[in-house]
Amino acid sequence: MPLKRTYLFLLGLILLSSFAVIQQNETVNKIELLTTQTDFKVGTNIVLKFSISEVEQPLLYCSNSYGSTVISSTLKNNTLEYFIPENITKKIGVVNWKLLAKNESISGVFNINPKAEVATLETYIGPPSIEAGGTDYTMLVVIPTDSLDNPVPTNTLVKTKHQFLASEETNDIYTKNLISWRNMYSKKESGRMLVSSESIGINSKEFTVNVMPAIPTDFKISASRPHDYADGNQITTFTTSILKDKQNNVISDGTFVTFFITNSEGNILKTTGTTIDGVATSKMIHPDYEDTWNIKAYVDGMAESDNISLNYKQVIEDFDVTFSDQNRTIIVGPLQSFMQQMIPDGLHVKLKIYQNEKLINTITKTSFNGYVNFKLKPAIYNNGTYNFSIETAGLSKEFKSKELW
Amino acid sequence: MVGLNKNILRSILIASYIMIVALIISGVSALFSYLNTGADRSTMLHTEIQKVEQYLPKIDWEPLQNEGRSMDNQTLNALQSNYLDAWYVKQIAYKTNKPAGIKDYYTDSARENLYRFIELNKAEDITIEATTLKHNPTLEFFSEDGQMTVITDRNVIEYKRVFKAEKVILETTETSNYKMVFLLEDGFWRIRHLVKEQAETYDAKTEPISVDNLNIKGINYYPQANPWNMFGDEFSADTISKDFKIIKDAGLNSVRLFVQYEDFGKEHVNPKKLEKLKETLDLAEAHNLKVVLTLFDFYGDYSVMSWTLNQRHAETIVEAVKDHSALLAWDIKNEPNLDFESRQKAVVIAWLDNMIDLVKSVDSIHPVTIGWSNTQSASILKDKVDFISFHYYEDLEHLDDAIKTMKTEIPNKPLVLQEFGISSYSGFWKPLGSSDEDQANYHKKIQEQIAANNLQFMSWTLYDFTDVPTDVVGSRPWRRNTQKHFGFIDKNGAKKASFKYISN
Repeated sequence: MPLKRTYLFLLGLILLSSFAVIQQNETVNKIELLTTQTDFKVGTNIVLKFSISEVEQPLLYCSNSYGSTVISSTLKNNTLEYFIPENITKKIGVVNWKLLAKNESISGVFNINPKAEVATLETYIGPPSIEAGGTDYTMLVVIPTDSLDNPVPTNTLVKTKHQFLASEETNDIYTKNLISWRNMYSKKESGRMLVSSESIGINSKEFTVNVMPAIPTDFKISASRPHDYADGNQITTFTTSILKDKQNNVISDGTFVTFFITNSEGNILKTTGTTIDGVATSKMIHPDYEDTWNIKAYVDGMAESDNISLNYKQVIEDFDVTFSDQNRTIIVGPLQSFMQQMIPDGLHVKLKIYQNEKLINTITKTSFNGYVNFKLKPAIYNNGTYNFSIETAGLSKEFKSKELW
Repeated sequence: MVGLNKNILRSILIASYIMIVALIISGVSALFSYLNTGADRSTMLHTEIQKVEQYLPKIDWEPLQNEGRSMDNQTLNALQSNYLDAWYVKQIAYKTNKPAGIKDYYTDSARENLYRFIELNKAEDITIEATTLKHNPTLEFFSEDGQMTVITDRNVIEYKRVFKAEKVILETTETSNYKMVFLLEDGFWRIRHLVKEQAETYDAKTEPISVDNLNIKGINYYPQANPWNMFGDEFSADTISKDFKIIKDAGLNSVRLFVQYEDFGKEHVNPKKLEKLKETLDLAEAHNLKVVLTLFDFYGDYSVMSWTLNQRHAETIVEAVKDHSALLAWDIKNEPNLDFESRQKAVVIAWLDNMIDLVKSVDSIHPVTIGWSNTQSASILKDKVDFISFHYYEDLEHLDDAIKTMKTEIPNKPLVLQEFGISSYSGFWKPLGSSDEDQANYHKKIQEQIAANNLQFMSWTLYDFTDVPTDVVGSRPWRRNTQKHFGFIDKNGAKKASFKYISN
């Protein structure tokens, strides 16, 4: 009996081993990946090798960051070799592949890692002009790339350098999320900041950031004039003090300053100027009658000046009016200025004509050689009785019941 | 004899005269209308350029916690729109191997990488149809001057179908993480750097939904007056309510309704239609009926480039009614196997497969099925659907055998005979058609078979229709007229003999 059992046992063993052999044969038939390397340096040749099973030479699908393709193999010493195309080996990132075998498909991934070399420093800086004072900043973004236009590994050192007035600074930043960046704050002074960067021995070109003065602070104004007579001819020039920001930087050229002039009647005259080297000037012609001006200047919404006041003295004390030619010619003058000289041409003289207590016309003329002539044409002004009033240089004279005929 | 000849001659002359005049008039009018054609003058002004949605994958932004400048909504929208366009032009480029559009969305140096792929694939006769179904972007960085952003898009689900020599060699779904740098150039956010950081094969794990309590005794329902246009202007809650009462009183417990893709507004679902759909579900609930909702009716484009649009449609509808207690199940598509020939079997199945995933991702409670038009197709995607639906309009003698075959192929899922019926039309267009009596016998017999095989059922249909749109069965009168007489109730509202056998 034990013999029988032994035979049975042996028989069973043989049977079992035959199964095992069959199974082994099956495993031999499988296609297997021979390449064990899963990390490659970008730009190197990559060959995926598989052990061959049968005659079948399956295609290999592979896909990287930018696209996918299918490659075919070459057979060499019973191994299938797939040469990964250059457009895949030259870009960093994960490549996933799948062998398109008929029975079973095996798949996998390999990494193409960036090189620790820098060929170009792609640099972006903005905004290109910032405000002085230490609160405003510009941002420098550096994307170091290798010779194959791939971003470099994370945590690659990038040195940012900038010069401003007397200071020169270097700061270390590290790449993260494919880029590296740093905020550059302004100092108290205005001026130009020169910026550059360096990574693994490669230097960027120079970038310029303008540090503009901040908004102006309140300022003073002054006025200058050839004389203080209200002759309607000379010009008063208004000048600001040097406009500065709170850090004492002279504000940018071209800052717009508006001068508001309020006269004694409460009317407002306006004149404007833009700054050069912090100073804005603006001009206004003298009034032609006695007046007091209050002047205040503004940089709209930012700063204002103090108030100054100017007096203009009356120049014409009195004037003559002669009627002739059936009262139809009215000669006003001589109009004499402060030294009894004839007033310069251009003084306004206004003639108001009334008939039956009603204003029927106003004629305004300017003086020429110290005189103004009014001619009343019979076709317009019929024969009759008129009242006249003549106004000039803030003075007024009335002539009642003048007969035109 | 002479007189007759003369008369013939005269009439020929007059007729030819009329003919010539008619020809001249039609010629002149054709010329006149030709001269009047041309673009509408107002189009010269280009007053309005409407954005056409072509690519709408699901996109979920992670909360904004980016470095650098804080992001505003308007810029983020522009960025998202350009980003999706970048994907879209890439998909089109790899599908056609033409670089059109690439330069708008990739910078000078980045586009070279795409061009090289196009060149390679063109030389090897490889084309790739692909789409992305899901994006989860994180904004990593936004530069102070607003000209640069960095985004990490995690778990992007990409579906690809790879062709070589116009034959599909691979169908794959992958999930990948991408990191990219965008630059704002010429008003476009363009991709400057693109790095895939992780990739693996994606396998949508959808949980099977329990169908133990499923006991469908139902009917396919359209109102008598407006079949195939149930949610149109003639939508009438009163009519539907009355009909639901008839159905409930007949001993049935469910109805199958249809949501038409275009009618419901395609990718931008019309909220008014949704309102009507909800109202209908409310009515079903009021009458204690359950509803099997069939999506994508009258839709036949399964192309990969339209997937994202289709999915937005389904998502909106499923999201809107998934919590309704009258809802019983989702029927992804009615008789998709009829499109196998014209749209390629693999394309249709891939579409269905992904649509099931989408519906299940939104609604994890209601079971999903596909309304196959015959018993042979019923085992397709049998592992994805929760119960099997099939239609049967063939000879009843073979039904038992067909069911037996299905039960061996699909042992573990309930079978629902989702459409069956016979037309009682017999008339000019079909002299040898069935009578009302034949119809009644048919339903009697099939109900016996249903009971014997322990099937669940939904018959076709409640009413005889007065009008059947040509989209349904074509314009041939013998088919349209047949389709009009499948009802249990005739067009005058009288119950036909078959009504007795509406349920078992």
